[in-house]
Amino acid sequence: MTKAPFANPGWAGNTGDFELTESEIRGSDFVGERPKSGGHASGAGAMPFMFRRREPDSEIFRGEYLERIEKVVSRYPDKRAALLAALSIVQEIRGHVGHADMREVAELLDLPTAHVRGVATFYTMYNKRPVGLNLVQVCTNISCSLMGADEVFRGFLDHIGVQPGETSDDGEFTVVEAECLAACGFATCVQINSRYYENVSAEDIPDIVAHLRSGGGE
Amino acid sequence: MPPSLVNLTIDGRKVAVRKGTTILEAARQVGSHVPHYCYHPGLSSPAMCRLCLVEVEGASKPMPSCVTTVQEGQVVRVNSEEAVGHREGVLEFYLVNHPLDCPICDMSGECDLQDYVHYGGRERGRSQEPKRVFGRDDFGGDVLFYGDRCVMCTRCVRFMSEVEGDERLTVVERGDRAVIDTFFEEGLEGTNWHGNIVDICPVGALLSKDFLHKARAWDLEHSPSVCTSCSQGCNVELHVRDNLVQRIKPRENLAVNGWWMCDHGRHNYEWMNRGGRLQEPYARVRSSSTGNGSSANGSSGNGSSPNGAGRSSWSATLSRVRDALIAARGGAGTLAVASPFLSNEDLAALVRLVDALGGGRVVYRSRRAPDENVLKGFPQLARRRDLAPNTTGLGLMGAKRVGDDDGAGGLDRVAGHDGVVIVVGDALHDQMDDFAASASAFIYAGSHAPPSARSAHALLPVTTFAEQEGSFTNLDGRVQRFSPALIPPGSARPPWFVLGALAASMDGGEMARSTAEAFAALSASSPAFAGLDFEALLEGGAMAKTEPARGEGR
Repeated sequence: MTKAPFANPGWAGNTGDFELTESEIRGSDFVGERPKSGGHASGAGAMPFMFRRREPDSEIFRGEYLERIEKVVSRYPDKRAALLAALSIVQEIRGHVGHADMREVAELLDLPTAHVRGVATFYTMYNKRPVGLNLVQVCTNISCSLMGADEVFRGFLDHIGVQPGETSDDGEFTVVEAECLAACGFATCVQINSRYYENVSAEDIPDIVAHLRSGGGE
Repeated sequence: MPPSLVNLTIDGRKVAVRKGTTILEAARQVGSHVPHYCYHPGLSSPAMCRLCLVEVEGASKPMPSCVTTVQEGQVVRVNSEEAVGHREGVLEFYLVNHPLDCPICDMSGECDLQDYVHYGGRERGRSQEPKRVFGRDDFGGDVLFYGDRCVMCTRCVRFMSEVEGDERLTVVERGDRAVIDTFFEEGLEGTNWHGNIVDICPVGALLSKDFLHKARAWDLEHSPSVCTSCSQGCNVELHVRDNLVQRIKPRENLAVNGWWMCDHGRHNYEWMNRGGRLQEPYARVRSSSTGNGSSANGSSGNGSSPNGAGRSSWSATLSRVRDALIAARGGAGTLAVASPFLSNEDLAALVRLVDALGGGRVVYRSRRAPDENVLKGFPQLARRRDLAPNTTGLGLMGAKRVGDDDGAGGLDRVAGHDGVVIVVGDALHDQMDDFAASASAFIYAGSHAPPSARSAHALLPVTTFAEQEGSFTNLDGRVQRFSPALIPPGSARPPWFVLGALAASMDGGEMARSTAEAFAALSASSPAFAGLDFEALLEGGAMAKTEPARGEGR
């Protein structure tokens, strides 16, 4: 068990009676520095879950998924409030939220279909179109932009050989620009599936892509 | 002063308003207009548009007046330099993306943005960048969406969810990509009140396909009127150009229809423009039925035709008709068929004529819908079962309903009657050609000459409700006035005028010379209408003294 690398009054670790270290709290993902390999699952990037595994043909809201959505619905006085969670489950299964899925969510939660569409399109975390197994989101907001995000974005596009928003022919990669990933401290930040890759520079791209191709992009 | 009142100062004027009033409504009460898009009195206020910003003393920022409720002792400045400056800034933001296509926009002339920019905008735009382009979308039903013109006030979204109770519209995407849309291809098909979103759209983003590029808003004459599509009696305006009704818009009346009207009523105007009208009075005299009435035949010398039918002037026709009626009265009595589209004044004249002929029966037929279609968010408004505007008025004047729910049948007794038959307005669409052939006198007054009126002794051209003044009694007993919108064709005259002239010539009484006089005669003779002032009826109407006819017949 290692000591916390620094005293951080901003996190709920070494305060009062709790003698927990930051790594105990954050779990094995935290390795003391922000790795480029995507070992760090940021809380900001973890919802909705973007898994490599997908079941595009499975029925949504059956079996374990139905149990999960029922649990979510039971937490709110109003079914409408469970909409974001329901859409997240859809995205977890399918990788994106399609028209038919929105209609199914609307039926499940007794909501107007138009309302579901309005909410789903308001949040950029829901993919409205199918994406590749690895969704690469490069932050190009101010901090990342100052640290060379444009070269990183261009680098991903060139290395994979796609246009912005396009999925590569092998179905492995989709590269998009993200507005802000709230990780200014370690710019440039790239979110790939549910993980943050920080301190990314254009030179790191071949390694990252190779890592992802070998199945390390969960 | 009651504690529920709040005192504040708006633009230097002290005012006391009810607690909970918003600054925008309080300002309206003292006559200060606050520009606004997203605020609509019939909808919730989301403070979307930020055009109603006002300066409130002590507040650190300009306040959106449509959601800020009044506070005791508040000092509000609607037209201060600061407030106007804020609103100018907001307007400039709107014009960043709003296209300046007023010359081809249907809303041009009644567009709030156009007005506000005209009064308070910059003289010259500073924007160098190209505007974003969304294009157009057919929302289904009667609505066309021009995305580029949309200012995201969300009135239409709120109307559909709060008033119509069918949330078909939503805001899709966000930021400058935000756009109003339905669930993909779903559209507004199947909703019955969506025409209202065209009315409440403050710019030209939602347009009526029916009215698209038909007329410019400033070319239209607006006539306050009452919708004739059912017995609800929605207050409407007929918008007229070239003596044709181009469209119908609702007119605010909180007691009847609020700000709304149904799509059926909105598009039920083609019949008012229909041609092929009965234009001149015709009198045909058959010696077998009228005896001495034939003395007038041919004597007027204006175009008698060989078969005995002839065009003639009103005075000649009416005197011939009167002679024929006098000759035929008594005997088997009088049967009259009225139309539930006749005004109260028309009916009173008909009843008076029937009385002058020695009394008889007045019957009417009216179509009835199987169900009411209620507006969920404004349940006092519905498309009623009774699909005629004045069935309540007919009932109050003693007319009896006959026939079925399709407005057909029930006239067997009239068809075979051998006394006097008078038909006013009813098109007799289901009757045989020999309708009332055995009547001693058969007078038909209507806008068109139907085949069933072939055996009529006289055809009298009368106006439709769109061409005359008068009043209807809606199902609640509210008497509401309508104004003439169209110029009547040929020598068509209002039924109250034609029938009143006949009645006066027979009973020797006074003849009404104006609608006001006709209404005065009605309120003098009918206790239900006693004490009503015709002049005061135009704004909001007044209740007749009657039990509301809600229930089976409505």
